[in-house]
Amino acid sequence: MFHNRTEALALAMPAAIFAAIVFLVPVGILLSEGFRAADSWTLSAYTGFFDNELNRVVFWRTLKLGALVTAASAVIGYATAYAIVTLPPTARGRMIGLVVMPLMISPVARTYAWIVILGRTGIVNKAIVGLGLSDEPLRFLFTETAVFIGLLQLFLPLMILSLISALENMPKDAVPAARVLGANWLQVFLKVILPLTKEGLVIGGTLVFTGSLTAYITPAILGGSKVLMLETLLYQRVTVANDFASASIIAMILMVMSFSANMLLKRLATARSKR
Amino acid sequence: MLKTLLASSVAFAALAGTANAADKKLVISVYGFAQDEFKEIVYDPFKAICDCDLVVETGNSVERLAKLEARKDDPEIDMAVMSTHDALAAARKGVTQPIDVSRLTNYDKLYDIAKDPLGDHLGVGYTFYATSIAYRADKVKIESWADLFQDELKGRVAFPNVTTNQGPPALYMLGMAMGNDAADLKAPIDEVASNKDDIVTFYERSSQVAQLMQQEEILAAPIGRFSWGPYSKMDMDMAWATPKEGETGGMNVMILTKGAKNEDLAYQFMDFWLSTDIQTKLAEALVDSPANSEVVVSDEIAENLTYGAETVKNLKLLPPDVILDNREAWLSEWNAKVGQ
Amino acid sequence: MTSRLYSYLTLALVFLFLIGPFVIIVAAALSGGETLAFPPQGLSLKWIAKVFEVESFRESFALSMFLAIFGTLAALVLGVPVAYAASRYRLPFGETIRTIVSAPIIVPGIIVGLALLRYLVIPLDVSVGLALFIAHTALILPYAVRVVSASLDNLRSDIEEAAVLLGSSRVATFFRIVLPNIQSGILAAFILGFVTSFNQVPVSLFLSGPGVRTLPIDMIWYMEITYDPSVAALAALLAFLSISIVFLAERFLGFSRYV
Repeated sequence: MFHNRTEALALAMPAAIFAAIVFLVPVGILLSEGFRAADSWTLSAYTGFFDNELNRVVFWRTLKLGALVTAASAVIGYATAYAIVTLPPTARGRMIGLVVMPLMISPVARTYAWIVILGRTGIVNKAIVGLGLSDEPLRFLFTETAVFIGLLQLFLPLMILSLISALENMPKDAVPAARVLGANWLQVFLKVILPLTKEGLVIGGTLVFTGSLTAYITPAILGGSKVLMLETLLYQRVTVANDFASASIIAMILMVMSFSANMLLKRLATARSKR
Repeated sequence: MLKTLLASSVAFAALAGTANAADKKLVISVYGFAQDEFKEIVYDPFKAICDCDLVVETGNSVERLAKLEARKDDPEIDMAVMSTHDALAAARKGVTQPIDVSRLTNYDKLYDIAKDPLGDHLGVGYTFYATSIAYRADKVKIESWADLFQDELKGRVAFPNVTTNQGPPALYMLGMAMGNDAADLKAPIDEVASNKDDIVTFYERSSQVAQLMQQEEILAAPIGRFSWGPYSKMDMDMAWATPKEGETGGMNVMILTKGAKNEDLAYQFMDFWLSTDIQTKLAEALVDSPANSEVVVSDEIAENLTYGAETVKNLKLLPPDVILDNREAWLSEWNAKVGQ
Repeated sequence: MTSRLYSYLTLALVFLFLIGPFVIIVAAALSGGETLAFPPQGLSLKWIAKVFEVESFRESFALSMFLAIFGTLAALVLGVPVAYAASRYRLPFGETIRTIVSAPIIVPGIIVGLALLRYLVIPLDVSVGLALFIAHTALILPYAVRVVSASLDNLRSDIEEAAVLLGSSRVATFFRIVLPNIQSGILAAFILGFVTSFNQVPVSLFLSGPGVRTLPIDMIWYMEITYDPSVAALAALLAFLSISIVFLAERFLGFSRYV
């Protein structure tokens, strides 16, 4: 450990100044615009925003889809991560590689594939009709279901990766010990795995939830104007109506939502461990 | 450090082959469709004769208009093409300047309706298009705009969003089919709203519809004739409706930005685009219907275009000022009833 | 044994979901038919060839490559000292500085793009290209700091302290001792930054101008105006590019430790 404060600051300041000037200042001005009336500061733009029914619908839809995607990815994530962690080391490495791989593919490409898969003549509908689950092909494109599927596919790897590292740090014999003592799998999960991996869940959950809130491509391509989310609404307000005030409000809402989700998940994690 | 990086960026760009030696540069802003054809028919031949670089920005009218306005005091764009009402909006916002038509040698060849659609020579029409309904003739029958909401099309029809150029005219025709041609479009918007669960999507770009049609996601959609090209090539029984209420449509115009940095090149380019030769080639490639009255095309080509003075006269067009003055109201009406 | 079976089934289904769409993209890219469909009609390389003919892709590819390479380098030049200061010094206002440099990861990209457009590009006449460069650098900065910090924390600091005590200058110590030892961390940060920047969409959404458009944005635009399989071909090519970079990195560096 070195003790020269000036030297330390000199090393760290360029990056901090850069980030502050080109990043925090413009973003800060943008966010503050939503509070500005002609010559004073006010919350009226926010109440006005929520007075509009379309905006309310979009807000709740964004929140709902974000929560659903997070919950689904947690469930699938635990099952997958546990299956991977219990593999022998070489196989485990390969599986982790396969989880990382989709993250490296452009989200545009990943979302685009769903247009083909979920279409009326796509394989999902062929399977559904072929298996006799429905007489008619179902409509997926431009529905919340399509956006949900697209977002889940986009962000599930982040949850799996967070849970893998959490599970790897768990004492190796915790689960077998609980099993020997007669706990069933649900009890093992709730009493052993969950408390020991909650940090991974918080990290993964925050990443997935924030990702779902702020994804643009997926709702734009799979939802279109019928399934507007906050991010696509923001883009539409700016490009169609040149409405920067609404854009600034939506931006603030998105940030508040991300932060609150993070806080909430942390709170949940600590509450559970106190019991 | 930044300087070094920027310097190396220049070197990098040169390596990547993007740097161009020509020092004259024309920047144009156009619609995004059929860019391959435009490049072959318009851009490349023009570059060859002007000895200049041509930078093409693409996007839909609204996006491009927003950018023009944002860069009002220091325009990057020299000339742009857009719908008549967006051109009028641009003119009202003071981002365009009148075109000196005496500098366009091909001006006199234009159909009268294209010569000065906005007044004060703020724009010159270069193409028209009809808007009607493209549909699968083997699956449905369309004889009226109201047929869009027939039972066979429940869950199989797309409609243009009110924010697109096709949206308001299509709504207007729907209103006519309902016996209500009020410019507030309240009746047709209500009609769309009551059918919204049966509409697959409110599309924002015409070409998006082609993919949906190809995937059999939809069987019918109101589209502009300019995007008809791909449909005629589809391996499907596609038809262009001639509804009893008539077809609607629009005109696109060229505008010159105020303070354009390359005015001379812009004039040269506009004149080139309006020439009989280029307009004929664009028509033959089924890209743009000609505004130049000297263009002669075969019957087969004419069939797929909005061709000839008669056709153009019969289009039921919404005047640009009506669109512009009502747009905000339509949008809020739409958002309140259809948008959610 | 049945629990083994369940694990394998879970893994098979999850990977079908995660990787299946990519397989479909590749299949569509190699289709001989005129439209995007699965299963593809016939086999051909014509759509791959078409991608290379689209001029705007070449330009946007060059821009995206430039941003990914130089943006990441710039982020490392700014970020490595921060990581070093945070791990080897008692850094005053350490928490604040760390929050500031990692802020770009928290703020939604579309807001960053819009803010830079409105308050940097328009009023200060900064070119869109430079704004993109700044935005991408800022966006990669948090990754650079985080990954390099992890790397530094794993490196024992007493070697450097010994070197300094023995009279080597701080700078020389850093370049001779620290840097060679955190090489793989820096490379990992570089790759992570590269891929993040290369695939970045929301930030670049508002930051585009005549002739200046990143590849993902160009792709979205192209997708909306064409419906033939060349879009899938482009997507598949890009995916292979990203995957091979990561694969090689993993092969030689064990990169996934840092993700």
